[in-house]
Amino acid sequence: MTDAVLLILAGISATTSRVLGLILLSIVVGWFLSYYAIKSRLFENIFVAFVEVFESVPVISFFPIVLLVFVAGIGGPLGSELAVDFLVFTAVVWNIWIGEYQAFKTVPREMVEVSENYRLTFFEKLTRLYIPFSVPRIVANLFPSFSDGFFYITVSEAFSIGSKSYKVFGITSVISSYVIAGDWADVELALFLLSIVIVAIILLFREITKRSVAKYALDTDIPVIRRGRLNLLEATRRSGILSKNPLTKLANYNRQKKSRTAVDDYFEPEKKRRINYITAVIGLAILAVLVYGLYNIVSKVSYGTWMMLIGDTPGLLVDLLYDYLRVLIIVAVSMVFAIFVGYYFATNRTGEKIGLPAIQTFASYPTPIYFPFVFLATSVFVSSMFGYLTDEFFVLFLGFISTFYYVFYSFWMGVKAMPQEFTELMNNLDLNLFQKMRRVILPSAFPYLISGISATINSAWGGLMIGEYWPNIAGNKSLVVSHGLMKDIAVATASGNIALAAWASFIFGIIVVFYSIFFTKRMMDVSRKRYVAEEGIF
Amino acid sequence: MFENKYKVFENVDLVAEDMKFVGLVGPSGVGKSTLLRLIGGFLRPSKGEVRLAGKPVLRPSPKLVLVHQSIVTFPWMTAIDNVMLSLIPKHLGRDEARKVAINALEVVGLQGFEELYPKEMSGGMRQRVAIARAIAADPMVLLMDEPFAHLDELTAEGIRQDIYNILFNKNLPLRSVIMVSHNLSEVLELADVIYVLNGSPATVVARVDIDMPRPRSPRDPKFNSYLDLMYNYLTNKKGRQR
Repeated sequence: MTDAVLLILAGISATTSRVLGLILLSIVVGWFLSYYAIKSRLFENIFVAFVEVFESVPVISFFPIVLLVFVAGIGGPLGSELAVDFLVFTAVVWNIWIGEYQAFKTVPREMVEVSENYRLTFFEKLTRLYIPFSVPRIVANLFPSFSDGFFYITVSEAFSIGSKSYKVFGITSVISSYVIAGDWADVELALFLLSIVIVAIILLFREITKRSVAKYALDTDIPVIRRGRLNLLEATRRSGILSKNPLTKLANYNRQKKSRTAVDDYFEPEKKRRINYITAVIGLAILAVLVYGLYNIVSKVSYGTWMMLIGDTPGLLVDLLYDYLRVLIIVAVSMVFAIFVGYYFATNRTGEKIGLPAIQTFASYPTPIYFPFVFLATSVFVSSMFGYLTDEFFVLFLGFISTFYYVFYSFWMGVKAMPQEFTELMNNLDLNLFQKMRRVILPSAFPYLISGISATINSAWGGLMIGEYWPNIAGNKSLVVSHGLMKDIAVATASGNIALAAWASFIFGIIVVFYSIFFTKRMMDVSRKRYVAEEGIF
Repeated sequence: MFENKYKVFENVDLVAEDMKFVGLVGPSGVGKSTLLRLIGGFLRPSKGEVRLAGKPVLRPSPKLVLVHQSIVTFPWMTAIDNVMLSLIPKHLGRDEARKVAINALEVVGLQGFEELYPKEMSGGMRQRVAIARAIAADPMVLLMDEPFAHLDELTAEGIRQDIYNILFNKNLPLRSVIMVSHNLSEVLELADVIYVLNGSPATVVARVDIDMPRPRSPRDPKFNSYLDLMYNYLTNKKGRQR
């Protein structure tokens, strides 16, 4: 028993470390990319389209890359580990990057002017203005990223391609070994311990959220939570330790010397940045590699295969339409849930205290682990209700529970960050709920809502990918829909038809690029121009 | 001139002389704030130039510090951290920067409030923090864009009474202040020279040199005659012609 507990805890630690470590990496990289995106229109267009494409492509669609680069190319335990990390990274990174980009885009102009006035350097602007401003949106994305990371790690820590299986050490591989051995007591123990860890992390995230909204959001009336007497962070601040270091004094001396010589350049025209040329060269190099890779792939596929793929395309497009309809339904239901429940939680302390941790824990618990039990318990009842649409219902339900929290958290955070003056004004004017929603709350939370809807739309595909084709979900029962592009990709991957899986993913990617350019980007621009609530009050 | 070829200004020629408080008045929408941003180097004029001590101003610098109409304080920084922001270009050591920031906060009457966050302060206190930040930068010229617009009258009056002495304090290297306002009394109370902007494209319709001792009272008949003079410039039909 003790061995089992230790093994389970080690598995949970490995899995959690992967997810949290990759979230941290995403945040740090995202700051730099978002900063560059707001400075360069060209990079911004590429960045947003890139993020949208990759966020929308279900993680499992990356399997061809994982296969080629990590499993076949690197191979061994390192290859499998990198494959899992890559898949989880692709699951957590996009909404964090979009959130950071959106925060950077909506920094009030006056604040930017102050930073320009005092000639803050790139690093100073980043650390004193952009990063603090992005904190509320990052913490808003911590919950869904954590949930999403756990969702996909349960799929990727143990996976199969055709007849081959790949595993890395983590809670999923531990549970799957217990399942194979029929050791159900230890399966239950693992699920229980996993629940405890998830609840603990959620509580930690909630504390971080509370503190960061109080400190970093503009003009909320939430009192600033001051540091306690004993504060490890403050006590171990790098500056505190380094201030006694003679090397620091030398560094300060050099910095002062440099500043004296630099003072008069205020009257010189700003130097053209060399980084633009460097970026252009790097961009061209990446483009060349991509073009070469594309040429390689295209030339290696036989004429007959191309004909088959082109022949399959109309069918794939029809299946994509089915999937878009499913996504639409999932998003509509998620939005209704988000707006009403999110508003209720944001304005009702008791409801929020009980309901929010419950939703957060539920959302973080990996759906693929518990969904077969839900299916087993309810399939007879659902079948009697929905008949031949039973599998359709389960797919939509799976899509909803795997993705609703994106829009939910975003909207909730948007309402929480709404200036107190807005709330007071609504109460002052005695507006009813509909008027409040239409006139103030929805416009005020609009940037958050757009970010959330965009992430929900994009992540819904992941739920569909798992749900549309799930063989032997419970015993010999399978979950299969009649039409769906995600099903086509999953079936093609499972049967080793990588050409068809890649072609279907490619078609899907093209559609998503257009969606990104014509919808998400435009909505983001509108939200920047009209709906920055923070600019309304000072 | 804007990208859509809309001409905002024409023949605008302003001089902010040494140790002078310059007021810039005009009707709403005439371009007062835009002009201030041009002076500060935040915007570049399509024609003409801005010079500071003979050198062209090509971009924002701490030598010309702007105090915004919206009170800009960073909610994640305490009052003293907000002020220390303007000391970054000076690359002072932390202790020295802190000393300078405390001094600047003292100058605006905020001693003892250094560790408060902006959310814990009133609007008047927050605007004082923004002014302290500007002062701490040791600018040659201070640009003020309706700095009292968001304050209640008593607070605004309190700061107005202090501001001239605060700004033209012997210990500060400040050489001039340019303040934009549509409040004529406010400008008359503070300024040595007033430029009146009007028309579209906007142009300087008058320069008024104020010859009144300080402190100035709105009850003073001379104050009222200046007020009438400026009112006439602003309502003059000629000033509004296209």
